[in-house]
Amino acid sequence: MKIAQSLFRGSLVAYTGLFFAFIYIPLVVIAVYSFNSNPVNMMTWTGFTTEWYAQVLGFKTTVSENALYIESTGQLLQAVWNSLVIATSTTLIATVFGTAIAIGLYRFDFLGQRFYRVIMFMPMLMPDIVLGIALLIFFVNSGIHLGLTTIIIGQCTFLISYVFIVVSARLAGMDRTLENASADLGADEWTTFRRVVLPQLLPGIVGGALLAFIISMDDLVITYFIAGVDVTTLPMFIFAMLRRGIKPEINAIAVMMLTFSFVVASLGLYLRSRQK
Amino acid sequence: MSIAIRRRVQLVVLLGPVSLFLAVFFLGPLAIMMVTSFLAPGLYGGVEWTFYPHNFGRILGFADPMFEDFDPVYIAIFLRSVKIAALTVLAALLVCYPAAFCIARLSERWKNFCLFLITLPFFTSLIVRLFVWVLILRQTGLVNEMLLSTGMIARPLDLIYTDGAIILGMVYVFIPFMFMPVYASVEKLDWTLVRASLDLGAGPIRTFWRIILPLTAPGIVGGAIIVFIPALGNFVVPAILGGAKVMMLGNLIEQQFLAARNWPFGSALAMMVMSVMLVLLLVYVFASGRRGADAALNR
Repeated sequence: MKIAQSLFRGSLVAYTGLFFAFIYIPLVVIAVYSFNSNPVNMMTWTGFTTEWYAQVLGFKTTVSENALYIESTGQLLQAVWNSLVIATSTTLIATVFGTAIAIGLYRFDFLGQRFYRVIMFMPMLMPDIVLGIALLIFFVNSGIHLGLTTIIIGQCTFLISYVFIVVSARLAGMDRTLENASADLGADEWTTFRRVVLPQLLPGIVGGALLAFIISMDDLVITYFIAGVDVTTLPMFIFAMLRRGIKPEINAIAVMMLTFSFVVASLGLYLRSRQK
Repeated sequence: MSIAIRRRVQLVVLLGPVSLFLAVFFLGPLAIMMVTSFLAPGLYGGVEWTFYPHNFGRILGFADPMFEDFDPVYIAIFLRSVKIAALTVLAALLVCYPAAFCIARLSERWKNFCLFLITLPFFTSLIVRLFVWVLILRQTGLVNEMLLSTGMIARPLDLIYTDGAIILGMVYVFIPFMFMPVYASVEKLDWTLVRASLDLGAGPIRTFWRIILPLTAPGIVGGAIIVFIPALGNFVVPAILGGAKVMMLGNLIEQQFLAARNWPFGSALAMMVMSVMLVLLLVYVFASGRRGADAALNR
């Protein structure tokens, strides 16, 4: 019995090890092979090079023309720039709106509270493609030109929910007696909100904003439908590259994106763990 | 100003603008899509404003007799998408469930670190995580290169552009969605009940079926729904790992909108996806009882 038990425990631990290997080994593989100099067969190691990175970043390289995909670094940079503009705008709008709903539902009792909560959960449960095509039909029918504006509006419709959920969680854990104390000590409502509620709420708002920013930068499906023909975002750019054939530069771009989001996410999660 | 009026003004200022925004840009588009799914497709794209139930008919078996015979290909794609989504749920559960037990029994410090490692990929680009699997699975990918060089196979295997590749890609992407709810109920599991069951003579297998599984069922069902819904309407994973060979609902919808320009039919397909989602949620709400639903909404 004892032996069987420890055997079982051992295999459970081994299984969990495999579980993490499944998650992380593919990412390690792509990071290693992004330094492979083989231009045709990306998974056959022929030597170490940083040329793909140099190429993506726009330096002169010795790589022959036909091994390359990106005609100019300008296209890539334009896509990155578009993504940043969109993510910044949507984060601002969604954070204000999402926080407003969270505070509204927390502080006031009114008819239709449940309705708001259901509306706030809908975008998370709905497949992206449904919202994407609904927005496409809507924008085309109302004659709005597809482009940056429509992407920003479209992404806000679901990002508000994410901010709402993060801020609501923070509100639910808040100490209401502090508000009462502040009121008892003579502060008016606005002062109480600014000096007592807001500072407590701030980590939730920042967390929600960070989440909205990351999801906006990564959104492919909804953006894909409402982007029109002029605007390309970073995920759309990579999606188009993948559909046309894979060249080593995508490797380098992918690894740079992975590194960037790992750093941002680790920072965010670290800050959150320190706050507790 | 009386307090009641002041509070009312505050409420309107807080919720007014965002309500207007969501009414126009969220509920409005969904309503228009619903209407569009009942309109006739125009000859050159666009729609004709007549009631036309045959968009759903093309899927369900009463196609417009003026234009075409019923073609069961759409119901086949629908069923195939349901099958792939269901297998994704099953595979994700098999991957996450045992690991959840192991991680739940670690010390606080290690537990948090493991949860961090599991959530981290969620914050990285979806498309990059899928691209990695293209590199691993394709004809000249890592697996085939390794097998060829060791001489275990003579010709590259067809790994990519299969149902299996789609399921693998979706499991990889949806791991955090399945793991978190499952883990939450595994961690809450009362181990004294398990010990009692074992002490009273039930074997390990019986204890698992009668005690552990029922007690962790809420997490399993929750995770299953959260994974099934995005898997069913997914279009990115089949587009990248399924190539042109494997058509799923998501790709069909995309095709109707961007290539075939039959928006009413595309809307009808999207409505099918939505209705599956609503049925699942209703089942979940009724199964977990009103109290459970209230708790979930007021979280």
